Amino acid sequence: MPHCTNLFFVLCCKVHSNHHEVHYYDFHIVYSASYRVPVLYFRGYDSDGLPLQLNEIEKDLPACSAKVLLESKWTFITQEEHPYFNRPWYKLHPCGTSEWMKLLFLDEAVLAESKVAIELHLVSWFSVVGQVIGLRVPIEMVNGRIN
Amino acid sequence: MAKQERSGGSILQFSPFQSFVDEGFWHRLSSLKLNKFGIDDSPIAITGFYAPCSHSQVSNHLTLLSESLPCDESEQSSVPAISLGNRNRCSVPGILYNTNTLEAYHALDKKSLLKEEAKKIWEDIHTGKAVEDSAVLLRFLLISFADLKKWSFHYWFAFPALVFDPPVTVVELKPASQWFTSEEADSVSVACNGWRNSSLTAGVPFFLVCIASNSHATIRHLKDWEACQGDGRKQVLFGFYDPCHLPNNPGWPLRNFLALICSRWNLKTVHFLCYRENRGFADLGVSLVGEAVITIPQGWRDLQCVPNAVGWELNKGRHISRVINLAKSMDPAMLAISAADLNLKLMRWRAWPSLNLDELSSTKCLLLGAGTLGCQVARMLMAWGVRKITLLDNGRVAMSNPLRQSLYTLDNCLNGGDFKAMAAVKSLKQIFPAVEAEGVVMAIPMPGHPVSSQEEESVLEDCRRLHELVESHDAVFLLTDTRESRWLPALLCANANKITITAALGFDSFLVMRHGSGPLNSSNDVKAESEIALSGDMDSLALADSGGERLGCYFCNDVVAPTDSTANRTLDQQCTVTRPGLAPIASSLAAELFVDILHHPNGIFAGVIADSTNSGGGDQPLGILPHQIRGSLHQFSQMTLVGHASESCTACSSTVITEYRKKGKEFLLPAINHPTYLEDLTGLTELMKSASSFKLDCNNETDDDDDDDDDYVEL
Repeated sequence: MPHCTNLFFVLCCKVHSNHHEVHYYDFHIVYSASYRVPVLYFRGYDSDGLPLQLNEIEKDLPACSAKVLLESKWTFITQEEHPYFNRPWYKLHPCGTSEWMKLLFLDEAVLAESKVAIELHLVSWFSVVGQVIGLRVPIEMVNGRIN
Repeated sequence: MAKQERSGGSILQFSPFQSFVDEGFWHRLSSLKLNKFGIDDSPIAITGFYAPCSHSQVSNHLTLLSESLPCDESEQSSVPAISLGNRNRCSVPGILYNTNTLEAYHALDKKSLLKEEAKKIWEDIHTGKAVEDSAVLLRFLLISFADLKKWSFHYWFAFPALVFDPPVTVVELKPASQWFTSEEADSVSVACNGWRNSSLTAGVPFFLVCIASNSHATIRHLKDWEACQGDGRKQVLFGFYDPCHLPNNPGWPLRNFLALICSRWNLKTVHFLCYRENRGFADLGVSLVGEAVITIPQGWRDLQCVPNAVGWELNKGRHISRVINLAKSMDPAMLAISAADLNLKLMRWRAWPSLNLDELSSTKCLLLGAGTLGCQVARMLMAWGVRKITLLDNGRVAMSNPLRQSLYTLDNCLNGGDFKAMAAVKSLKQIFPAVEAEGVVMAIPMPGHPVSSQEEESVLEDCRRLHELVESHDAVFLLTDTRESRWLPALLCANANKITITAALGFDSFLVMRHGSGPLNSSNDVKAESEIALSGDMDSLALADSGGERLGCYFCNDVVAPTDSTANRTLDQQCTVTRPGLAPIASSLAAELFVDILHHPNGIFAGVIADSTNSGGGDQPLGILPHQIRGSLHQFSQMTLVGHASESCTACSSTVITEYRKKGKEFLLPAINHPTYLEDLTGLTELMKSASSFKLDCNNETDDDDDDDDDYVEL
């Protein structure tokens, strides 16, 4: 695997769906040089390794996340080649990200603390994006930083 | 398996290894099979990866990734260079038998293949290789058949484990945190984390845990066994990365580990540590420590006497092979479909929630003309998700075409040139395999181009064929290169009340317009029509466009019938020489206008929203729905116009349509052959007579001095 300077974070999780079937998910956060924001890539597969289609993934999402996905203007899913694996993964399209990230960072005091801006940036970004995939940021992650 | 009471406790039951194959592995194998191995089905050395259990509720798998297969650059060797593992991927060697047919796959002698791999493990134990490179204890076997046409993969894993006869028994098995004192536990955790963090040892799955009398723990390589004996060692445990999470069972790797321990070091009692983690750190609450009692089987001293082995993986509890179909993620045609769909859905989520993709993909579009306009409109329609496209053109691709006609390349021009309609269809399929494209090689009968009596039959046949094509499609695009070639299509579309879009080019100006609805109800109601028509009831005419009058067609503004515009003209007047940028602009507008019509609640009956304050509001998500768009590159300007249907129109007036329906070929042949037939029929002759009797000073398309312009600019 090539040296990934822009691969921030890798997360794997397992979901028990109905019929006692287990679905596995991989989440990658990759920095997009062209949009200059983090982008969430993900894919799901069953225990045989068969990749899940988008409609099957949507069934695994908690109800509120599915709602966010449908209604939100900020999150839309496309399928694209993963930048490092060159296999098709799903991703949350980044075209709206910088707009709503600016909204989150309107408070200048936050911007002034530049030394923690990067971590805050990712956590804040994830607090929005994570809702779509049913993952929440633990409150401790945010409190510790601000204080 | 029933537990039996034996001296020393119950039979130690191991949790089987589970396999997981990442889709990238199959992708890589397919590519290697196609490009490198071909028909060669000799065994391939592969690498599997696993890591200690990382969650108390989930076991880890032996994973195959695309990196598991040898790289293209290096020579195919019998033993791959096993990459130095990292903490998440401990490498283990394996072998793959990939057959060329499904029959061969089922015919593989699984028993002897398993025995062969077990023998390799046995030899490694005896030669000491397993002590040096302990990962070989986990050597595995994979048989597969890759069906590269259907993208389905049959496969079956085996994790060879040497069988103890009599079986190993377990005296005690408990969480490590309960086995060690808290001091020892802390020290063991620290030592394990150190082992896991060092890149030199992270990929070494079998190790010794030496605990001194002062509770200090160190982790050592297996080869340091002798050094660990004696003085001050309180206990030595045999540790290994355990993929299993179960609280009462150790994982599969322990089986061959015990085989190694007993045959190499002759131990009958073994303390083992099933090392498991949580969130990247040693978790001694999930990790297990146990005491196993081994009765060394007879014959194990003898290298030649290979013990029996078990290890074929069960598929959901059954002893059968697995199969998965990866067409959706590997078949490029299916990937193209899925990507196209998602892209269009993006548009819907973002900008246009009521975008009706189902309607777009099911609308059948007929494109008359496969030239500069036809090629470009076809591409734009495909980009919008239109899947059913028919192209009609009787020409062949000429050498000058590929530059401006975006579906053709030089190859299409050779050997006299391919038929445009067929070449275009082929090109569309190369762009997007899922398109349902048809080509029709046919000339469109035209008024002013008379036909001899021998040709009559075939011309009528062409008319009939065109009639059927119009009837069987939902939308028609008039994209030919002469005015008169648009006449019959315009008539047929008005007759059938189909969405019709015309695009026409001048040198640096263009027209894109949508025809209004037809004058009568659909031709299915012909019988009712004639009855009602006899009574002269004006209400029987078809629904007017919202706003009152029908919008006009391409010919509504003509006051002469279409004639032969191509004869006796110089080359640049005959085949329209246009600025290259014009065709793409006009084609794009035509496609966009079409999509808007489809989404307008009144469709073909849609009037024009003239209110400029109502831009993009209400039920028109993408803005206004113009009737005509006329643009000029000379001034880079564009304007929208409205023209209402003319009762004297030679193509769409009720007179003409009724005549066509009643008389069929007795209408068509005179229209084609006789220059003034249409004008007489529609009363244009009368109109002109009355017009010329006045001295009018208006800017009229029929001014004589504009004769050249009139023929040259085909708008």
